[in-house]
Amino acid sequence: MALAGCAPKQENKDRTLYLIGGDFRGFDPMDSGDTETAEEVCRVYEGLLEYSYLERPYKVIPRLAESLPEISADGLTYTFRLKKGVRFMDDPCFPGGKGREVTAKDFVYSFKRLIDPKVGSDGDWIFIHHVLGAKEWAEKRDSEAPVPGFVAVDDHTLQVKLAKPYPQLVWTLTMSFTFVVPREAVEFYGKDFRSHPVGTGPYRLVSWRRRYRLEYERNPSFSGQRYPDVGVPGDRETGLLADAGKPLPLIDRIVMYDVEEYYTFWQMFLGGQIAAAGLNKDYFKKAITPDLGLSDELKRRGIRLYKTPEASTWYIGFNMNDAVVGGKSPKLRQAFASAIDQKKLCEVIYNNRYTPANSPIPPGIAGHTDKPYPCIYNLERAKQFIAEAGYPGGRDKNGNPLRLTMIMPGASTDVRQLGEFFTDHLRAIGVELVPQPMSFAEYLRREHDGNYQVLYAGWIGDYPDAENFLKLFYGPNKCPGVNATNYQNPEFDKLYDRIAVMNDSPERTALYEQMVDMVLADCPWALMTYPLTYGLYQPWFQNYKRHPFSYASCKYHRVLPH
Amino acid sequence: MIAYLIRRLFSVIPIALGVLILTFLLFRVIGGNPAYRIAGKNATPAKIAQITKDRGYDKPYFGNFQNFPRQLFDAQFPRLVGNLLRGDFGESITTKEKVRDILVEGVLPSVSVTLPLFLLNLMLAIALALLAAYYRNTWADRSLVVVSVMGMSISSLVYIMVAQYWLAGEWGIFPVWGFEGPQYLVLPVLIGVVAGVGGSVRFYRTIVLDEMYQDYVRTARAKGVSPQRILFSHVLRNALIPILTNVIIALPFLYTGSLLLESFFGIPGLGRMLVMAIPNGDEDVIYAETFLGTMLFVLANTLTDIAYAWADPRIRLK
Repeated sequence: MALAGCAPKQENKDRTLYLIGGDFRGFDPMDSGDTETAEEVCRVYEGLLEYSYLERPYKVIPRLAESLPEISADGLTYTFRLKKGVRFMDDPCFPGGKGREVTAKDFVYSFKRLIDPKVGSDGDWIFIHHVLGAKEWAEKRDSEAPVPGFVAVDDHTLQVKLAKPYPQLVWTLTMSFTFVVPREAVEFYGKDFRSHPVGTGPYRLVSWRRRYRLEYERNPSFSGQRYPDVGVPGDRETGLLADAGKPLPLIDRIVMYDVEEYYTFWQMFLGGQIAAAGLNKDYFKKAITPDLGLSDELKRRGIRLYKTPEASTWYIGFNMNDAVVGGKSPKLRQAFASAIDQKKLCEVIYNNRYTPANSPIPPGIAGHTDKPYPCIYNLERAKQFIAEAGYPGGRDKNGNPLRLTMIMPGASTDVRQLGEFFTDHLRAIGVELVPQPMSFAEYLRREHDGNYQVLYAGWIGDYPDAENFLKLFYGPNKCPGVNATNYQNPEFDKLYDRIAVMNDSPERTALYEQMVDMVLADCPWALMTYPLTYGLYQPWFQNYKRHPFSYASCKYHRVLPH
Repeated sequence: MIAYLIRRLFSVIPIALGVLILTFLLFRVIGGNPAYRIAGKNATPAKIAQITKDRGYDKPYFGNFQNFPRQLFDAQFPRLVGNLLRGDFGESITTKEKVRDILVEGVLPSVSVTLPLFLLNLMLAIALALLAAYYRNTWADRSLVVVSVMGMSISSLVYIMVAQYWLAGEWGIFPVWGFEGPQYLVLPVLIGVVAGVGGSVRFYRTIVLDEMYQDYVRTARAKGVSPQRILFSHVLRNALIPILTNVIIALPFLYTGSLLLESFFGIPGLGRMLVMAIPNGDEDVIYAETFLGTMLFVLANTLTDIAYAWADPRIRLK
């Protein structure tokens, strides 16, 4: 996540927000799959829909669409009425340099770009399997041919036609991949388009020095959006509704610096230059007390603490095709899961910044329940499970210790410590676990190819729907798909086929819970943790409310003179 | 001399190839097919296969022996070497920028730190070494040596952290971070000098002392030449060869920048780019910087040899 910041005090009078972010790829919405890039793209580009900033549970509201889409009775056609008078920002790519009105054709063009293999976006999955004729169009590789599923009915009416119902479409249309770009800019700037953003967003780029500094100013043609007047209980008390009804954005200028070292962040934060800072492991103890509150020193400075669930799940996955850990009997996998003390893991490795996981669906998403994890740490049960699996005392028939290998992404100290933690716990039931840390590219290759025995992995939700997590267990998604454990359960697949086309309802949530129970019983994952984001912000940084799925929040922020 | 230079030129080939092979082994062979990373977490096999094909990751690593001999060099490593020799450094897999542009952009920030750092370090180290040699075996000499050893024993990271905390954070004398003007360079340069001068002082002091025990110094002293004149006119001149070695060999590092200083102080130079490229697996950036660093290092070595011949007429390059 980018860290909001504020540089020298004398510069604050002009309502400038200084931000600190990380490695950023450029301003092409089609290449905005990472957090840092999505945040920058969201300052200048917009899409049909966005998340409500303050409301929870997460809710989608129209942005460039006039209202939420009209959905046909069969769930196959989504009709969007576009807001009139929304203009692209002025840019030399337009005749006379004057930005023109956004039309439905712009969305058709942008959506086609997203699935165009020549563009090579890693967000093409949003449409490619769901939109009518999208896959066939992409295979033909003819950019000018129409896609049957994207139809500009008139200048202000867009239809998206689906091959089969896909209720998650409304979530995915909030993602920066789907934001609208003008064809003129793409053609005018060519390969350099990613350095010349031309959107409709709240800000326009003034200058960009790569790997150092980005500067934005208020986009004068930004179409009137106002600060929300609806939140959740507690928002008014914490001042989050104080600016209700005010025109956005609230800040005139944004300057973003790319600060690499966390130590430098921290010095700037303590010096009052940075408005907010995420907390990493090494600095956690400096800022947070053992009972997970803010330290007295930081309290004295008026600094505030926020804790937000991250909508992601970390787990140890078993390759279900592996002769040892795979197969129908879950006993060995259950032994593995029950041998690992999740609470201790959170304490020792993550300073309690993470919480023990009890379901593949993280908290805050429909389908998550508070039911206790069936394989919660219990050494005696773990020993019993491993004996029942045919490895009493962790020994095979020949009396040799059971040896398992686990691939892990990256080779940092954190990963190695994690590997040692798991090895120690497995040793208690006689299993010899060999962690194999490796480069991320190699890890992905092994995962896609199903060339591993056990893996350590995490899944960060793309949108707040349990389907996004349950698809990791869907049979047809097996390797090289996202079902990296090759879990196969016909009953589960039948239910997945049902929920994948269902709209949000208590019935669907009940099915989610039923599917989770199946997964927990078969144990293709040993559940580990749910990350919590801990961060700090200064009293003069206003209207900050973290949203794990939205990157378009800078327009709501405010910096008070200080 | 010309024959020597031609021979040195040929010696570049195995050195550069060796360095590139090691880098290639680390990042491509052990690091794995970058297509998986480029394609993203929701990638289909078809997409991974397409990226693999488009970028040539499906070719053999070192030689295409299946189509021997016509397409022997239609392989990943020979292609990489060919591209580098043509000056085609590829493009960054993260930002899609041309690596050549990245390198051009990063040189000035790197040099704006490393050049003043290098010059200040050199002047200060030689001055202190002469001082120590002049007052050899006195408390001044011993104190200087002790301080130098202490200085070189402390990690640069400690200097950076202490300076950022006190000089920039608590006392506000310098900016904590940034590259907005000369004032932003003072602290990183100062830290670079403090961290590096100790080792240089010890090195130059040893050289100067070595010379001071030579016969010609004793003769000069017997003839009544003043100690200052002996030191500056005779000893310093004769100590020039090792000093030149040290100076010229350091020149490539002016270009490649300082990894730590650039990262901590936000200098958008080549050192920082390399630090960012490694965890991202941004191979083309890594290969280009490694290749250029190697070439500059070999060039610096050759220049050192030429400088020897210039500084000492007894040396002949054959």
